[in-house]
Amino acid sequence: MSLESTPADEALDVDEKGPTGAAPVQRNGQSRLMVNLERFALPGLFAVVLIFFSSWSTTGHLFGTAANFQEVASNYVYIGILTLASLIPLVCGEFDFSVGQNAGFTQIVVATAMARFHVPLPFAVMLAIAFGALVGLNNGNVVARLGVNSLIVTLGTSGILLGIVEWYTNGQSISLGISQSLLNFGSRNYGGIPEVVYLLVIVALVVYYLLEHTPYGRYLTSIGSNARAARLVGLRVNRLKLSAFVISGALAGIAGVLLVAKNGSASPEAGSVTDTLSALAAAYLGATSIRPGRFNVLGAMLAVYFIGFSVAGLAIAGVQSWVSQVFSGGALFVAVVISTLIGRRRSGAT
Amino acid sequence: MTTEATPDAHRPWRRVALRIDHLSKTFPGTRALNDVSLEVEAGTIHCLLGGNGSGKSSLIKVLAGVYQGDPGGTITVDDVSEPADRTTPEWARAAGLHFVHQDLAVFDGLSVAENLAIGRGFPVRRFIGAIRWRTLNRRARDVLDRFQIHVDPKRLLADLRPADHTMVAIARALQDQFLAGDEGILVLDEPTVALPSAEVDVLFSALRQYARAGQTILLVTHRLEEVISIAERVTVLRDGNVVATLDADQFDYDKLVELIVGRALDSEVTDGVDLEGEDLLLEVSNMSVGPLRGVTFGLRRGEVLGVAGLLGSGRTTLLTTLFGLRTMAYGTTKLDGQLVAFAGVDQAMDAGLAFVPENRSDSAFLDMDLRENLSAADVPKYWHRFVLHQRQEAEDARRSVVEFSIKANSVYQPFATLSGGNQQKAVVARWLRRKPRLLLLDEPTQGVDIEARGEIYRLVRKAVAAGTSVIVVTSDFEELARVADRVLVLAHGRIAGELRPPHIDASRITELVLSASASDQAGDGAHEMETSHP
Repeated sequence: MSLESTPADEALDVDEKGPTGAAPVQRNGQSRLMVNLERFALPGLFAVVLIFFSSWSTTGHLFGTAANFQEVASNYVYIGILTLASLIPLVCGEFDFSVGQNAGFTQIVVATAMARFHVPLPFAVMLAIAFGALVGLNNGNVVARLGVNSLIVTLGTSGILLGIVEWYTNGQSISLGISQSLLNFGSRNYGGIPEVVYLLVIVALVVYYLLEHTPYGRYLTSIGSNARAARLVGLRVNRLKLSAFVISGALAGIAGVLLVAKNGSASPEAGSVTDTLSALAAAYLGATSIRPGRFNVLGAMLAVYFIGFSVAGLAIAGVQSWVSQVFSGGALFVAVVISTLIGRRRSGAT
Repeated sequence: MTTEATPDAHRPWRRVALRIDHLSKTFPGTRALNDVSLEVEAGTIHCLLGGNGSGKSSLIKVLAGVYQGDPGGTITVDDVSEPADRTTPEWARAAGLHFVHQDLAVFDGLSVAENLAIGRGFPVRRFIGAIRWRTLNRRARDVLDRFQIHVDPKRLLADLRPADHTMVAIARALQDQFLAGDEGILVLDEPTVALPSAEVDVLFSALRQYARAGQTILLVTHRLEEVISIAERVTVLRDGNVVATLDADQFDYDKLVELIVGRALDSEVTDGVDLEGEDLLLEVSNMSVGPLRGVTFGLRRGEVLGVAGLLGSGRTTLLTTLFGLRTMAYGTTKLDGQLVAFAGVDQAMDAGLAFVPENRSDSAFLDMDLRENLSAADVPKYWHRFVLHQRQEAEDARRSVVEFSIKANSVYQPFATLSGGNQQKAVVARWLRRKPRLLLLDEPTQGVDIEARGEIYRLVRKAVAAGTSVIVVTSDFEELARVADRVLVLAHGRIAGELRPPHIDASRITELVLSASASDQAGDGAHEMETSHP
């Protein structure tokens, strides 16, 4: 720096300097508290839910058991992976509304491959992932190249997949001829933890790494923040968006395999738009914590299990099933409202 | 300015139309306004002047009811007081405050007539409520005539030049004032940003006329020439404080600069260096694309080439085409003697080009942090062995913050919370970090305060000294004359003239731009004879 460059030095503490002798502004004190409240509201609420249902006399004897924890942990792996699948397009500002139905489609693929064509398990799994990615490729092509609204495109895809599943299965479940090792994977524990949970942890770590620790993740975030500016710093916006949908589809393929592993069969009813909604709810709810205002993996996973354990607790307490539905819907509602407010404050505070 | 009477002589009988007392506005982390008090007299043009981050935008937003002030302040319009923490858009409307913001809030997909009617309601048939289109368009034509906007009211706004968008927005705000005959206050927030100087003059003479008729006008601007030409009084804000309120006879250019910046400004005047004889970095021949028709010019290494022209002359197209955003229909580009044709921005960047676009909405990642904005164009640099080295990235960001004089609390500060000038410095820094061979600047100081302007050009100069060549487009000809080694004038897609030192000054540029634009329109190509290609 040259000698006359005092402005920069003054600049860093510009808030304190009052040319007319004004009192220095008390900054960050309150706002830092608020930020931390915001970041840890969801984990805190999660802890409250766990403690409440474990200690409440009506639910404690069932809720606070290892069996219940294993059950819930295992049951929500599927939603967890769907959440990760929907997270990647969300980061670059696009919706993938087809993840749930895509999982419903790929579970038929994996089950059919094994039951009808006697494909060995590893290849059947790869086939399911490939089909899922293909669905994503199709979504991505239409969204990125033609510039069609992703919500509408993927909603359409969802409908088409539902139709294909119904046509191919004739409404019948596929339960014979499914690899025993896949079924074992869906039901067994390792070290007291359901094996499927390890899968979720691995996938979550990979997605976390991808989004937070690679240029690719930064690019997707940039596109989600301002696609035009992203193009002007040399990013191939269309190609990146396309890839986000492909990854999302591939993850939906993994979710489809998991459905078969968990259910022991491939049912045409499993894997639907309802699951997409749960995944989107968790992604949005997750965006209100850990890194408020940004879609993030840890927040999303917390959100999945916050909803999971809350619904389980309510069920044990004996509330009717519609209460759980209202709870999940309400969580999405509140999450979207809060993340919108956070976003507004972050970008409107000048 | 308009009367020879001294302020003291006429002040006693002049009514105060707007009074602000002890207004403060605190945001998390910053205080945008600090105990601001000011008075605006009825029937005068009062300028509110200040750099980016000085608090003038916040002040206007509190007046408009978009923000609420901190408790304790009051805003008085026509002797009716309102606590500053209770302002709402409804209150502002009821109090007779009419706003034209920098963001014009006009609708591209609607016709001019519809845009005008949205402010005051559509004429409809009784009972069935259908719009009476003929009446609507006739009324619109009256308004357009009065404001000297020469467009068909039925045309879609999207089809008009940006300058006309501003004019329509102003007409929309003003039409009610004159129809109702009320004594409202017109607040213009940076109305001239997108206007060429000729139209600024038209607007200003109209404003003077309205003021003479009793209209109170509060004009927010950061252009000193405008203040000097039109203000009867000026209030200068800096860092959220009122530093001075002066009458027209109490200030001049230097005084205002000093008040805005808080110190005397370093001269940013540069001597144009004549680099005749050196080899050319860039040779463009017969570039034809969009509005451009056969543009041919060269750029020397280490040269700052200014491009002047009216809106629509093809200035931006020239830059975006060089940067690989558009493909030439005809013509060639040589970089360092090699023919190049960039198929995309990434290829242009690899070749050492950098582009700062006209609008910050095309360059700022508002909800990302400062660090991420600074490194947006070189993320791969931090990617080693499957790890994104974010600490290294933050370290570099801190260095850039110091080197480029960016005012920020931390490199993790959300970009949206930086002032406009600092955002722009960061965007320029983003590209200068890459040490580009060719830097393309499109209106780099638009909406940027005078202090940041000087700093941006100081940084550009530093890069030029290190070998970077620059093409800069700006509609501020004073600025162009100060920073450019050579100036090309574009009119209707052609190079209509070239100015070299010592002939580069704002009045010559203005003259050339206006005469070339006018003569070309009339089909008289005489001025194209002035074209000379290096």
